[in-house]
Amino acid sequence: MVCSEIIAGIKNIFGTFEALSVTQAYTDEIHIKVSPGLFKDTCLALHKMLSSSVYMLFASDERRARGIFTINCVFGNLKQGQWIIISIDIPQDEAYFDSLAKTIYSASLFEREIWEMFGIQPKGSPDLRRLRLHNEVWPKGNYPLRKDFQKLQAGDLGDYEFDRVEGDGVFEVPVGPVHAGIIGPGHFRFSVAGEPIINLETRLGFTHRGVEKLFEGQSCIEAIRLAECVSGDASFAHSLAFTQAAEKISGIFIPKQAVYLRAIFLELERMYNHVNDIGGMAVDVGFSFPSAYASVIKEALLKLNDLLTASRYLKKVNTVGGVLKSLDENKKQILLDSLKRIENDFNELVKILYSSVSFMDRIDTTGALRRKTAEGLGVVGLIARASGIPADLREYFSTIYKEARFKIATEESGDVLARLKLRIAEFKESIRLIEVFVGKLADDKEINVNPEFKEGRALGYVEGWRGPVLYWMEIDTAGLIQRCKVVDPSFLNWQGLSYAVLGNIIPDFPLCNKSFDLSYSGGDL
Amino acid sequence: MLIILQLILFIVAAPFLSGLISKVKNNIRMRKGQSVLQPYYNLAKLFLKREVVSETASWIFKATPFVVLAAMLVAAVLIPVFILRSPLNHAGDFLALIFIFSLGRFFLVLSALDTGSSFGGMGGSREMFISSLLEPALCMAVFAVSLQFGSTDILAFSGMHAISVSSVVAALTLFLVAIAETSRIPVDNQETHLELTMIHEAMVLEYSGRSLALIELSSHIKQMILFFLIAQIIFPIGLPACLVGGSFCTSFMQIFLWVLWYLLRIIIIAIAVALVEISVAKMRLFRAADFLGLAFVLGVIASVCAILGV
Repeated sequence: MVCSEIIAGIKNIFGTFEALSVTQAYTDEIHIKVSPGLFKDTCLALHKMLSSSVYMLFASDERRARGIFTINCVFGNLKQGQWIIISIDIPQDEAYFDSLAKTIYSASLFEREIWEMFGIQPKGSPDLRRLRLHNEVWPKGNYPLRKDFQKLQAGDLGDYEFDRVEGDGVFEVPVGPVHAGIIGPGHFRFSVAGEPIINLETRLGFTHRGVEKLFEGQSCIEAIRLAECVSGDASFAHSLAFTQAAEKISGIFIPKQAVYLRAIFLELERMYNHVNDIGGMAVDVGFSFPSAYASVIKEALLKLNDLLTASRYLKKVNTVGGVLKSLDENKKQILLDSLKRIENDFNELVKILYSSVSFMDRIDTTGALRRKTAEGLGVVGLIARASGIPADLREYFSTIYKEARFKIATEESGDVLARLKLRIAEFKESIRLIEVFVGKLADDKEINVNPEFKEGRALGYVEGWRGPVLYWMEIDTAGLIQRCKVVDPSFLNWQGLSYAVLGNIIPDFPLCNKSFDLSYSGGDL
Repeated sequence: MLIILQLILFIVAAPFLSGLISKVKNNIRMRKGQSVLQPYYNLAKLFLKREVVSETASWIFKATPFVVLAAMLVAAVLIPVFILRSPLNHAGDFLALIFIFSLGRFFLVLSALDTGSSFGGMGGSREMFISSLLEPALCMAVFAVSLQFGSTDILAFSGMHAISVSSVVAALTLFLVAIAETSRIPVDNQETHLELTMIHEAMVLEYSGRSLALIELSSHIKQMILFFLIAQIIFPIGLPACLVGGSFCTSFMQIFLWVLWYLLRIIIIAIAVALVEISVAKMRLFRAADFLGLAFVLGVIASVCAILGV
């Protein structure tokens, strides 16, 4: 859709719409600026028109230069490969905007984030509890993402209020944040009547490290290493989204060879994580043989990564302007041979799982997230596809995936079985894609170009193995990062988990959790 | 004299079985696994450690490990292993054995509730749910053996000399019961770190140090008693004449081979349990009702077979 079509579309729903400016910033990004009073209605109109959830909603502190905060809301027009970004300027002494949360639920977490990080109030929001800056340790009145935040000021502490479910025979079971296994910290509060769960409230934020603040003031080249650490199991997806944003702003075109190499590494990352999850589901139902088998396959993939890039987790591979590691003839051959072996092993693993009645009985119908709920929550990525929502950025935004005839895999039932099937399908598709991409690699030696940075702002996005990894970047004239907003798919999908487990029994929670396999650090930032 | 030997055998050999099961499982999973002696190391470590006791715990919490261990030790001397007539023989029969098991369980559940942690309550309620299904099945298996023998006297177990349909089915029932009793897959999972899925482990989560060692030791002993009973039904051999009547054995070799076979049977059962554990996934909690329901039905079939004399 071009700008005029979008304006006409919004006007159709919301008659008095008037934009301050509409620009096609890049071929895949349209920026619409409106006055603060029209923000809510414009967002609602776009939400309705594109049937898109809120992918990102974030603030940015520009008080030093212009004396304002800006609020940006990103919608996806996936079918046409476009992002539409609504932004408003709000004066610093009237730091509030109209809340979207009551109509668009997917905005609610973002609004809580803006409130705690910037102290900009979403007016009319039903829930303003803090997500990451826990009241018990962070005094009121500290807004760390404001530019003038220096260090923590003393102030009143408070408590967190959990949703309460009361009634005869309803018990609360608090679990975590310290768990018995080696996993991330998260606090889960179950309200149960007997074994079935009637409410689950997740409290996260224990691994909050202030990533977005750390990005500020760094140069793009050194900040790549930081992007790789946002979520350790998706380090390539994060570094890719980051570099794509930086390249878009500076107008850098990377060599074709690097485009294919990036796709190959991205798929390798998807593979080792998917097989890890499949093994994890088996271990959570005490089915230990297949889980041991899956860990053998995962190790083979990590070793392959190490051999190809000298990093088991694909770190230090990406750079702005291309990639640092190439595949010569020898490595290509090793890659293809290893994939053949891995595919055989993987098929064997799938056969063991599918032929085990006890395993299938555990995962079938467990932890179902219905499509309607998933859409309402704005769940993204693999979890959304398992509930029947055909959303995969690879299909809509990438030309090389189109050339390779990539097909979105979706499932309808939204239960643990659906997520397992989807992981299996995507693993196999990844092998096929890598084989296609390796075939396309030319002898061309050039795998990166020397970047020259320009001022600007843009969105970088990648379909990582969990789902879309989104980076909004603002770079100043010196080439330093002014604002970097990161959205890992885990951030939105934790909500999905809380709804998927309802009506299931407590001992099935770990299985549901594993089938989602969300990142604590990616969500907590 | 022999009764003391029997008691020592149970205390000394019981942890070995757990170590063996874990070793077999790990080897099938292509892992080297811990040493079969690991349960002994664990016990030694725990005996040397200081204990941490919750402030809200009452005397029940402190008494439970002793009650549980005492119950298992009484059970261990009640059954005929080396001697036909236990000094406690008149104290009880088969049903007493089942009640002694229940006594230990009852105290464990009480102590789980005692500390007021959410996992203890969860584990306790699940344990009671499982045990209410498990005890009838155990009773039926025991009845089947008693019917063949003609009395609920505990001697029935050593009085069996031939395999019948009834005893095979009864052994199968006991096998299913033993899996549930020893908290193994598919009913429970001893290895899990997922506190939300635990049954037995959730109950003893608050224990540490010496108390935990005592509880673990009693679990090992309970496991060995159950395995022994199964072995006695499915591989029936009597006691050698020398132990029963006091007449001299023909040779040491004979008695050595007998002891070897006597113990080997238990090891075979342990390996069978390990194979079951490795080849199925844990069931949904409420499916345990189906599993133990099946055990109960098998127990009924065993009893009917015993009445029919097959």
